[in-house]
Amino acid sequence: MSSTEERIRALVDENLEIDGRPPGRPLDLDSSLRDSGVSSLDFVAFAKLVAQEFGVEVSMEECASINSVGELIEFLDAKAA
Amino acid sequence: MTAGLQGDRGMPGDDLRWWRPYCSPGPVEVFHVALVPHSGREAAAWTLLDTEERRRCRRFLYPAPRRQFVLSRAALRAVLCVALGCDNGELTFEFSRYGKPIPLVGGDRVALHCNISHSGSHGLVALSHRGRVGVDVEERRPRKNLEDLVETVFGPEERALLARLQGKRWLDTFLALWTAKEALAKAWGMGLRTDFSTFQVPSEMLRGERTGLFRCPRISNATWRLEDIGCDDLAAAVAYEEDREAGREF
Repeated sequence: MSSTEERIRALVDENLEIDGRPPGRPLDLDSSLRDSGVSSLDFVAFAKLVAQEFGVEVSMEECASINSVGELIEFLDAKAA
Repeated sequence: MTAGLQGDRGMPGDDLRWWRPYCSPGPVEVFHVALVPHSGREAAAWTLLDTEERRRCRRFLYPAPRRQFVLSRAALRAVLCVALGCDNGELTFEFSRYGKPIPLVGGDRVALHCNISHSGSHGLVALSHRGRVGVDVEERRPRKNLEDLVETVFGPEERALLARLQGKRWLDTFLALWTAKEALAKAWGMGLRTDFSTFQVPSEMLRGERTGLFRCPRISNATWRLEDIGCDDLAAAVAYEEDREAGREF
């Protein structure tokens, strides 16, 4: 597991309420967050938090184009490259 | 026939319906959709979905978002069938580039705009015969990390308003501003791809009025009416074209 993935998983567990997800269940990186019941407001707030944690900027348009935690990890890795 | 499906055009009877008229701002009809768990409603809603919608349900990992989708999409179908005078089997959807549903009857576009939003146990469906419409709802509940969003999504006057508030009033105002902006962005068809910090809700609404007119030629040539339709349980807003954009067709 990459360092980015590990940090993101921890941030999801602390900050993102995924409706109906049993506590401790491993996060599916490829599932759509919208299809997991995360509202647009909660996702934009989470993306902003993650961007701050990783010291990068994320625009609304970039938020809208990110569908899953896996895509968020790819986005952060690309920004860091 | 599934139990409870006794209404017109194969729709659930009054005793089972999970949607009801919520408000009618201007030319728009808004319906509230109850998304709480209810096995009878969910079974009735499932029968209204088409093959593609049922396939989409398989993508949901957890029961709650699956239920929200099934109940809200079935309610959208039900209110559209009444508004358009069509049967559910004739109704299909195509989707704009950014995912906004466009109703089709017998494969043809119709002179009716719709939009849908849901949050937690609340859904809203908005219909307009007169132009584009957007609706957004957010359940009132504690949320994390909203303070960090203020600089990203709000303009200077909106930030100044929030800076004067605390606690529940801060959260209520944040949600009122967010839902107003998302309703406008959904009415324009861009949704979250719109940079929210580049436009502000009308100044009369920042002064506490529940409605205002929005004009921003950089984004749209139309004039938009924005209305705060929130209540104790939910924050919500609807945006609709007050003056249609010249030459624009449905």
